[in-house]
Amino acid sequence: MTTVGQQLIVAAIPALPALVFAVLVLFGRLLKENAQYVAILGVTVSLVFSAFSLYYVASNDGTPIEFSVPWIDLGAGGTFSMGIYIDSLAAVMLVVVCFVSLMIQLYSGAFMEGDSRFAWYYAILNLFTASMLGLVVAPNFIELYVFWELVGLCSYLLVGHWYEKPSARDAAQKAFIVTRVGDAALFIGIIMFWRATGTTAFDEISQAAQAGFIGGSALTAAIVLVFIGAVGKSAQFPLHVWLPDAMEGPTPVSALIHAATMVAAGVYLVARTYDIFVQSETAMLTVAYVGGFTALMAATMALVKKDIKRVIAYSTVSQLGYMMLGLGIGQYTAGFFHLYNHAFFKALLFLCAGSVIYAMNTYSLPEMGGLRRRMPITFWAMVLAGLSLSGIFPFAGFWSKDAIVASTYDEHYYVLFGMALLTVFLTAFYIFRAIFMAFTGEPRTQAAREAVESPGIMTGPMILLAFLSIVSGWVGIPSGFGVPIKDYFADFVTPSKFASDTLGLEAHAFSFQLAIISVAVGLAGIGLAYFLYVPKPERAAQLARRLAPIHTFLDKGWYFDALYGLVFVQGAKALARGIRGFDRRALGGLVGGVGRGAMGTGGFLQRFQTGGVQNYALFILFSVLLIGILVGALAGAQWTLLVVALIAVTTVAAFAVGARL
Amino acid sequence: MPPIVQQIIDALTATPPLAGYLVVGAIMFAIGTWGALIRRNAVVVFMCVELMINAVNLTLVAFGDFLPGEKGLGASYAVLVIAIAAAEIAVGLAIVLAVFRSRRTVNIDEVNTMRG
Amino acid sequence: MTVAFAFLAGMTLVSAFGVVVSRNVVHSALFMSGSFLGVSGFFVMLNAPALAAFQVLIYVGAVTVVILFGIMFTQRPQARRFRTIINHQFWAGFLVAIGVGVFLAYLLAVEDWGQTSAGNGARDVAAFGKDLLGVSPGSEIFALLFEVASVLLLVAVVAAIVVSRRKTGEGVDRGVE
Repeated sequence: MTTVGQQLIVAAIPALPALVFAVLVLFGRLLKENAQYVAILGVTVSLVFSAFSLYYVASNDGTPIEFSVPWIDLGAGGTFSMGIYIDSLAAVMLVVVCFVSLMIQLYSGAFMEGDSRFAWYYAILNLFTASMLGLVVAPNFIELYVFWELVGLCSYLLVGHWYEKPSARDAAQKAFIVTRVGDAALFIGIIMFWRATGTTAFDEISQAAQAGFIGGSALTAAIVLVFIGAVGKSAQFPLHVWLPDAMEGPTPVSALIHAATMVAAGVYLVARTYDIFVQSETAMLTVAYVGGFTALMAATMALVKKDIKRVIAYSTVSQLGYMMLGLGIGQYTAGFFHLYNHAFFKALLFLCAGSVIYAMNTYSLPEMGGLRRRMPITFWAMVLAGLSLSGIFPFAGFWSKDAIVASTYDEHYYVLFGMALLTVFLTAFYIFRAIFMAFTGEPRTQAAREAVESPGIMTGPMILLAFLSIVSGWVGIPSGFGVPIKDYFADFVTPSKFASDTLGLEAHAFSFQLAIISVAVGLAGIGLAYFLYVPKPERAAQLARRLAPIHTFLDKGWYFDALYGLVFVQGAKALARGIRGFDRRALGGLVGGVGRGAMGTGGFLQRFQTGGVQNYALFILFSVLLIGILVGALAGAQWTLLVVALIAVTTVAAFAVGARL
Repeated sequence: MPPIVQQIIDALTATPPLAGYLVVGAIMFAIGTWGALIRRNAVVVFMCVELMINAVNLTLVAFGDFLPGEKGLGASYAVLVIAIAAAEIAVGLAIVLAVFRSRRTVNIDEVNTMRG
Repeated sequence: MTVAFAFLAGMTLVSAFGVVVSRNVVHSALFMSGSFLGVSGFFVMLNAPALAAFQVLIYVGAVTVVILFGIMFTQRPQARRFRTIINHQFWAGFLVAIGVGVFLAYLLAVEDWGQTSAGNGARDVAAFGKDLLGVSPGSEIFALLFEVASVLLLVAVVAAIVVSRRKTGEGVDRGVE
C-alpha cells in the first residue's frame, strides 16, 4: 500500500463504531432518542470506507491491503502485532457487515422506541459492529481472538438487554458459556500453533506448516481445536444449544448478530485459515461432516417450533452448516458465497419476524394468522426471503445453495449430498410452514385481527433487503449457465493459489440436472407445507398427533438441552455442593478446631495456676531439673547456657508484656 | 605401732577430699529445698531458705580452699553472701509480718488469691 | 580430720532434717542454729576461721534471734500431728528434692576440678581482712563489692521498716495473744 491517508481510512472502518460506542456510553443519557442518529452516521461512514476498500482491492487485482504495528514485544519470545489485512474475502465481509449493521440500526430506531436503555442498546450495537469489523481485518490469531471475545461479550450484553426477564438473563449466560467452550478450544489451538511455529499470523503459520514446523496429528489437532472455536461461535453441533435461546434478545439483535454477522464469524475463521485447513485432510472432513450433520439436524428441529423466531434461529444453524459443508469439501468460494447471500435474506427474515412481533406483541405462531391482508409489505418480503432461503431459481439463495449441493455430488461425497438434499426439502418446508401459519387463513386471535403494518423506518430496510435477497446472487452466476453475466464473485473471492493446488479440485461445469433436482426438491417442500397448512389447517395438527413421539423429540431439540443440563449443569451443581460441604466441614472444622484447641489448651494450663507459691516453686524446680539433666548432661554446657538464657529472656519478656512496660 | 593401727590413724587424720564437702553441701541444699516446698508455715520456709544459702556458702568456701587459682577468695565471697542473706531475712520477715497482720495467718496455702 | 568431718557432717545434716520435720516451730529454729554451727565447723576445717566466727555471730546469733522474734509475733499452737505442718506436695517435693540433690552431687563430684590441694584459704585474719577489703593483690573487685553490700544492707533495713510499719490509726499492737 499505501499512503497514510488510505491507512487511516481503512483503520477508521472498525474505529468509527468504537468511537460511537464511547460517545454513547458517556453521553447516552443526554442524547436519549438522538443516539440513533449518531450511531447511524458512524456506521454509514464506515460503510462508505468499506466500499472504498473493496473498490481498492478489486481494482488492484485482489492484492490485499495490509499494515501492522507491533503491540507486545516479548524479546526472545517474539512480537505480537496489531494490524489490518484486507484481501478480497475481508473486503466483501466488511461491506456486508457494515451494510447489515446499518439496516439494523435504522430498523431499531422504531423497534426499540421507548426502551429505557435506548442509548445503551445503540452503544453496544456499535461496539459489536466495531468488534466484528476488527475481527474481519485481523491478520493474526491474537488480534482475531481479542475481537472474537469482544464479539461474544457484546452478544451476551445484547441478548440480555432486557435483563429484567429471567429468561433473557439465562439465555445470555447460556450463550456466553457455551461459546466459551469453543473459545477455550480456539485458544488452545492458537497456543499450539504459536508454540510450534513461533508466530500467530495466519500466512506465516500456513508457511510454517508447509515447511514442516507442525505436521501430521499435531497440525490436525490444532486446527480442529480452532474449528471447535468456530463451532461454538457458529452454533454448530454440538455447541448449537445457545442460539435458539438467544432469541430472547430484541429481534434486531437477532437479525444482526445471529443471522448475518457474529455467527458468520466461525465460517469466516475457517475461510481465513483455509490455507492451514487444507493441509489436513482429516480436519477438512471434520468440517464437512459436522456442517452437514448440523444442517440436517437443525432443519429437523425447526419443523415443529411454534415460536417464529426460534424457527428462524434453527434455520440459521442449518444454513451455517451448509456453509461449513461447502468449506469442508473444498468449495471456498461457494461456502463464502452462501455466507454473503445468507446474510441478506436471513437478516430480512428476522426483520420480518420483528415486524410481526412489533405489530402483534407475541412470538407465537398459533396466535397469528391472516396477516397477509393486514401487513402486505411484511408478507411479501418474507415470501421473497423464504424463496431465497429455499434455493428457488432465480433468487439469490439458489445460486449459492445449488453450488454447494452440486459440488457435494461432483466431489463424490454422496452421503453429504443426500443430507444436503434432504435439508433443502426440510428448509423449504419449515420456512413456508411459518409463513403460511402466520400470514394465511383466518386470524386466530384478537391481536391478529388488529395488526397493522409497521412504520416506514422499519419497512424501508426490509424492502431494501428483499431486493438484495433477489439480486445478491446474480454477481455469482456461474459461466456454464449460459447467461452473459460474468461470475464476478468467483473471480474475486478465490482461495489462495496454495490452497487450490493442495486441494487439487477440478472445476466442474454448471450442471443443469442437479440444479433442477434441487429446485424440484425445494418446491416439493413448499408444496407439502401448503398442503398441510393452507386448505385445511387441521391436517398439520392431526399429523403431529399421529407422530407424537417424533414430534416431541424434535420439539425438545433432540433432547440436547436436557442432556447438557443433566451432565454439565447438574454436574457443576453437585461439584459445588461437594465443595461447599468440604469447605464447611473440613476447613470450617479445622478453623473451629484451632479455636477449640486453643481454648482447650488454655483450660488445661489454667489448672496449673493454683495461686500457691510453693506450687509454683515446685514447678520451677522441676523444670530446671529437667532442663539441667536433659540439656546439660546430654548436650554440654554451652547448650545449657543457651537454653537457660532463652528461657530467661522469654520469662522477662512475658513479664514485661504482662506488666505493660 | 602396728602398721594397721598406723593405717587407721592415717585414714582418720587424712584431709577430706573436695568432693566430700561438695556432697555434704548438695545434700544440705536438697534438704532445704524439700523443706521449702512442703512446710506450711512461712517462717519455717524461711529457715529452709537459710539452709540452702548456707549450703551454697559451704560450697563456695570449699572451692576457695581447694582450688589454687582462686587465691583463697572463696571465703570473702561467702561473707558477702552472708550479708545479703541477712538483708533478705530482714525484708522477708517484714513481709510475713505484714501478711500476718492483714490475714491473721502464716499458712502459705491460704495465700492464694492469684489463683486461676 | 576425717573424724571431725564425719561428725560435723552428721550434725549439719541431721539438724537440717530436723528443721524440716519437727512439729514445733521453735524446735525448727533451734535445729536450724545447730545446722549453722555445723557449717561453722566446716569453715574452720577449710582454713577460714574468721569466717567461722562471722557465721556464728551472724547466723547463730542474729538470724536465729530474728527468726525467733518472727515466730513470737506470729505464734500459733504447736501442731499435734505431722500432717498439719505439711502441705499436699510432700511426695512431689521429696522427689524433686532428691532429684536436685542427686543432680548436684553427681555433677560436683564427678567434675574434674583440676589440681586441688587443701590449704589455699587464708588462715590469717589479717590476710582475710585484706582480701575482703580489696587490698591484697588479686582481690581488687572486693573494694566495690564491699561498698555495694553496705548499701544493700541499708536499703534492706529501710525496706523492712517500711514494709512492716503499721498504717496510721491501726491501733497498738496488743502483742502476744
